[in-house]
Amino acid sequence: MHRTWQRHLNKLRWLMLSLVFGTLILLPFFHLYQTYLASHSYDLLLPKEKLVYDSMESLTAPFLSDPEKQLEAVKGTTWSGTWFGLKLSDPLAVISQASAGMKLYWPFILTAAIPLLFTVIFGRFFCGWICPATFAYELNDKLGMWLRQAGLPISQRRMDRRLKYLVLGIGAVLSAATGAVLFAAVYPPAIIGREIYYAVAVGGFGGGTVFFLLTLLFDLMVSRRGFCRYVCPGGALYALLGRYRVFRIQRNVATCNDCAKCNVACQFGLDPLRDGFGQECNNCTACIAVCPTDALRFELKAKDAVNQGPGHLGQLYRKQQQTSEKAEVQKI
Amino acid sequence: MMDRRTFIAQFTKAFGIMGFCSLPFAIARLLAPRVAEASESRIPLPGALADHNEFINACIGCGECGEVCPPRCIRFHMNDGGKEANTPYIDPVEKGCILCGLCMQVCPTEALTVTPIRDIRMGIAQIDQTACYPWVDRGLCGACYNICPLGSVAIRAEVRSSNLTAVPIVQSGCVGCGLCVEVCPEPSLPIRIVDYSLSTKKYTEKNSGKYKVESEPGQVNSATGELKY
Repeated sequence: MHRTWQRHLNKLRWLMLSLVFGTLILLPFFHLYQTYLASHSYDLLLPKEKLVYDSMESLTAPFLSDPEKQLEAVKGTTWSGTWFGLKLSDPLAVISQASAGMKLYWPFILTAAIPLLFTVIFGRFFCGWICPATFAYELNDKLGMWLRQAGLPISQRRMDRRLKYLVLGIGAVLSAATGAVLFAAVYPPAIIGREIYYAVAVGGFGGGTVFFLLTLLFDLMVSRRGFCRYVCPGGALYALLGRYRVFRIQRNVATCNDCAKCNVACQFGLDPLRDGFGQECNNCTACIAVCPTDALRFELKAKDAVNQGPGHLGQLYRKQQQTSEKAEVQKI
Repeated sequence: MMDRRTFIAQFTKAFGIMGFCSLPFAIARLLAPRVAEASESRIPLPGALADHNEFINACIGCGECGEVCPPRCIRFHMNDGGKEANTPYIDPVEKGCILCGLCMQVCPTEALTVTPIRDIRMGIAQIDQTACYPWVDRGLCGACYNICPLGSVAIRAEVRSSNLTAVPIVQSGCVGCGLCVEVCPEPSLPIRIVDYSLSTKKYTEKNSGKYKVESEPGQVNSATGELKY
């Protein structure tokens, strides 16, 4: 059987997540290297600073001729950053800044245009494909699975998905009331980028690390991927923006065999088996990767199909049952 | 019409949901409490909005300014500061700003806007004439006016014919970068950066919105130790 290439998307996604996370770790070291280069004082560096200098030099020397200038190309975090001269910001940053300052600053709003466009087309793709917190949360979820297998009684409470929209609304109101950009303190991707920079280049973690560890514990102890599903204001914003996304994972009834592996693989607790994707789907493609009959794949569609009923085996079973019943009736 | 029991139940439920949804913000705020400032020498970044509250409104805490700063002078309110949490500042006692302007270029918001070097207003230097080495006639120093990136428009050395020492005098062109504070050898730091509004002189707004100083600001009377107004 010819299998779809889309089942490899999950590996590509993990590569992407690792790249983003690795870049966030490397950037502060690149910054340190740049400052050492700018100071022209290799001999005065401490041994550990020399270690940073040498390792970064060996990393960049094969590719860059003038690292002090060329490393400026990629700066910042996923919250807001510069990417080869292009300034990109999180749409949530724009919303929180606009509500904190109660005014619109167009140069900043335009930096969120490209992420916004992608979100309208692909939905919550940021959550699944870029967010550095997802990298940690998915590994955390694996840990939770092992702990459950080891016999620890771990709660998998389900809450109301709409809670996160309330978090988004309350955060915007609180930002306007206090005049501070509050989302920056509770939004895990913003926290992670910042805290890695603090830890490497400034020295010591900030309060955000404690907050992030609390969310990891929440995911582990209370609800599977609970923060992303029920609390994250960024996820809420992307879900709203991606409600009518064009690319969505859809189930092909003709090939589905009702094995329900997709429902187990979905960390967001969605229901691909019964076409229950909705705006919450973060396009992580774990269900596509796990589907044995390639019944799930991306399609160009602006709306989810309503529940299409059981897959081909279930339909076959029903048909057989019906015919056997008819036969029995005829016998009688 | 609902009876009282259901009303109370509904009300408690709604209150609980609101409480749960504002919990993350409460926890984040608790993790960054507002504490007494460790150092009084915190100055804003170059090109920062003049009003501190407006600056906090505008800064999204992305930390990009710190990530491009060549001398790494930009610090952050990492686990303190209340609503200032994650916003940047410069502590000139540890490291002064070299006025390279990279942070202004990289800032995505209007928190830092690109400003010509001479129009930057991070503060203004003030010299305590009762402690500064040349002013109290304890030798030749000149660290402050030798390091100053703006030269004689910001700080000037006035040679005294009586004992041939050159005393530093802050000029109206000082932008408050804090390099003089960083290099000052006197332990009590007789030179410091104060807010422009806290300076000892009156300013008149002239053309192009530039500050113009009527006379030399921030000097302390050497004889009495009092601030001269």
